[in-house]
Amino acid sequence: MSKRALVVIGLVAAALILPVGCAVSTYNELVGLDQKVEAQWAQVENVYQRRLDLVPNLVETVKGAAAFEKETFTAVTEARTRAAQATTPGRAPDDPAALQKFQQAQEQLSGALSRLLVVVERYPDLKATQNFRDLQAQLEGTENRVAVERMRFNEAAREFNSKRNTFPTVILASFFGARFKEKGYFRAEAGAEKAPKVQF
Amino acid sequence: MLKPAPRKHPKFSSDVLPQRLVAALLTALVLWLGWAAALAQSAAIPPAPQRWVTDEAGLLSSTARAKLDAKLESYEQKTGHQVVVFIGDSIGGAPLDDFAVKTFGAWQLGKKGADDGVLVLVLARDRKMAIEVGYGLEARIPDAVASRIIQDIMAPKLRAGDADGALEAGVDAILASIEGRPFVGDPSAPPVQRETPPMSTAKLIVIGLLALGFLGLFLTNPSLALSLLYVVASGRHGHGGGRPGGWGGGGFAGGGGRSGGGGARGSW
Repeated sequence: MSKRALVVIGLVAAALILPVGCAVSTYNELVGLDQKVEAQWAQVENVYQRRLDLVPNLVETVKGAAAFEKETFTAVTEARTRAAQATTPGRAPDDPAALQKFQQAQEQLSGALSRLLVVVERYPDLKATQNFRDLQAQLEGTENRVAVERMRFNEAAREFNSKRNTFPTVILASFFGARFKEKGYFRAEAGAEKAPKVQF
Repeated sequence: MLKPAPRKHPKFSSDVLPQRLVAALLTALVLWLGWAAALAQSAAIPPAPQRWVTDEAGLLSSTARAKLDAKLESYEQKTGHQVVVFIGDSIGGAPLDDFAVKTFGAWQLGKKGADDGVLVLVLARDRKMAIEVGYGLEARIPDAVASRIIQDIMAPKLRAGDADGALEAGVDAILASIEGRPFVGDPSAPPVQRETPPMSTAKLIVIGLLALGFLGLFLTNPSLALSLLYVVASGRHGHGGGRPGGWGGGGFAGGGGRSGGGGARGSW
């Protein structure tokens, strides 16, 4: 009896410990990937914030030289306000709708900004000033950073999602419910596979 | 399985075989085209450089290249910042921003954590260039400054056919900018506000911390400390002579730094 009981206990213990060990390491791996997505999301918010900070300066500079293009400025300022309000509470990567809203607001600002820059084309004197050239370089750099950080966010999200959705892991992930929700992606923008380019 | 085979055989007559062949060829062509398109979309990242200055396009004179290389090598030894020049030929219409970021990422310029690398990328046939700044130097080389270096210093010289001068002046301006000095050729209309950190005290603190850390390591694990010391010392001596053109062993190696699209791009 005792021998048999021992064997049974051993088997049961093995049957319990092995999956639990696997589950623990998988859980930790998911947490790590989740953290990477979070960190990358912070980077994305960071570069978009950088753009928001740049806009008032740009508008002021252009206003000085092209005061009568009023509706263009209003459009930029309004788009900026909306983009600033579109900051997502909590864990945006987990909420596709929030992510999409965030992206839309930012894209509207991109659109307004590129229209502003088209307007500037009509003012060669303004374009030639050092102040405007510096702002232009900053804006280009910022748009480039946005593209880079978005790409890296998508990579991190893809890494998390593919781990989360592979076979044994998916059971564990769904067991934890909202903790390991699938991450959303930034979509490529309609009509362009890149972030809007500031071209001159 | 064996039986149908002989029956099938007559089917491979003159009209079927060419069809299959054509189909196979078409598939291969489509695959190849897709591959070529993918290549055109994102140009292949060049292998990590052996030296601080790499000129695949033969744009620089060999003396200028060697001089610049020696300068950047000793600059890295002095300050730890990795400033690397790469002159390629063409990326065939692929987006330059993307190429610059990915190349920087693949080469891992700058130290891990400090991210203090700068990549000066020139494409001779495309007549384009980029200055890609690591995360850690973005405050020292703001985009506006990088853009001025490209547009006001490098581009005019390149346009005039003076590639040696362009790269030399451009790199000088980058180094000056890192150190917070005003650079030659700065169209200093309103100078960019740049708080110059007191380098000397900061440096002293860093050196002090490093020395303390080393002391700690020496006390706990002397053999590791000694071997570390040996590696550092031999690394210094390996290319400490500053002999230009010494392409022997050792040389450049990226340190794990990252960039995120900071800097500027331009053309000439």
